[in-house]
Amino acid sequence: MIEVKNVKKSYGRKAVLRDISFTAKKGEITCLIGVNGVGKTTILNAIMGLTPIDGGEILIDGKKLTKETYEKVAYIPDSITMLPSMRIKDAFAFMNDFYTSWNEKRANELLTFFKLNLEDKINSLSKGNKMKVNLLLGLALDADFILMDEPFSGIDVFSREQITKVFTSHLIEDRGVIITTHDIQEIEHLIDQAVILDNGIILKSFYPEKIREEEGKSIIDVLREVIDR
Amino acid sequence: MHVKLNIDNRSPVYLQLIEYFKEQIASGKLAMGEEIPSRRELARTLNINPNTVQRAYREMEEMGLIYTDGNMPSKVTRDETVIQKVREELVQDALEHFVSTIKTLQIPLEDIYPLLEKTYREKNGDKADGGEAK
Repeated sequence: MIEVKNVKKSYGRKAVLRDISFTAKKGEITCLIGVNGVGKTTILNAIMGLTPIDGGEILIDGKKLTKETYEKVAYIPDSITMLPSMRIKDAFAFMNDFYTSWNEKRANELLTFFKLNLEDKINSLSKGNKMKVNLLLGLALDADFILMDEPFSGIDVFSREQITKVFTSHLIEDRGVIITTHDIQEIEHLIDQAVILDNGIILKSFYPEKIREEEGKSIIDVLREVIDR
Repeated sequence: MHVKLNIDNRSPVYLQLIEYFKEQIASGKLAMGEEIPSRRELARTLNINPNTVQRAYREMEEMGLIYTDGNMPSKVTRDETVIQKVREELVQDALEHFVSTIKTLQIPLEDIYPLLEKTYREKNGDKADGGEAK
């Protein structure tokens, strides 16, 4: 379980995260929803310890971020971080050298799942296929939690379709996922928990199935209610 | 089994799944003892959360609609009384829906009977097995 408790973060005078608390459980998909610039990526960076926080704490299975807990979490940024001149096989070799949690077997399964080839050069791939490689490299790690930053942003409809299929596949297993998006429609029925962010605060966090059952509302209905524009 | 379901965003997905299976079972499209898709398979086909499918299957198992032996795929019940009960329940639901719609139009019951019969025959005449449109 990833617990984000009263997290605060400012860049200079600008408060990006004002008081963020939520819990993401294993075996569930937690979705951070909000327009661009509300602090979604900052939260993911904070969980990974990539950006120091000014207040609050983040616990991974009850412990603060250490080398041991760090390996429990895989971070998939919104664009690929491998060198463009690399082939997929070079990226595999790099991951294998860099991460003890690299799982080659799962990596190959994902390669088939996404219909990619080891010989493909990263810079020759379409935007959608680049995102698939990006996801593959993160998902292949033996991590209990996976953080995905905007995996559907700016890619073609077929790639989006294929990526949504990952969430229902055995490749996710019973791992915990935190995903950020500014467009919920694509994955409305795929997520367990929704966390709505605006302006550095959480406006509402809820389980959509519960809201559908108890209030007869869709996620978009709730968004309309809480986001005042 | 070919699952086709339009999901309504405002009602719980697990209940929509249960309703769908009830219809399939009551109409005989899903036969007694027939295998149903695995939880992951159904989640993949419909692009829905596997936990949601899990919940629907668990509740259907509690209702006795489906059963699972060990690690085998889940199957539709062979208990005819359960299926009969589901049929009655669906008919009752449909009747209640029909009556509440027709009531607002304030038509006397005796005027409805012939209309109902006529419509029923017309609909039935168009279809080979009196069931779903082909």
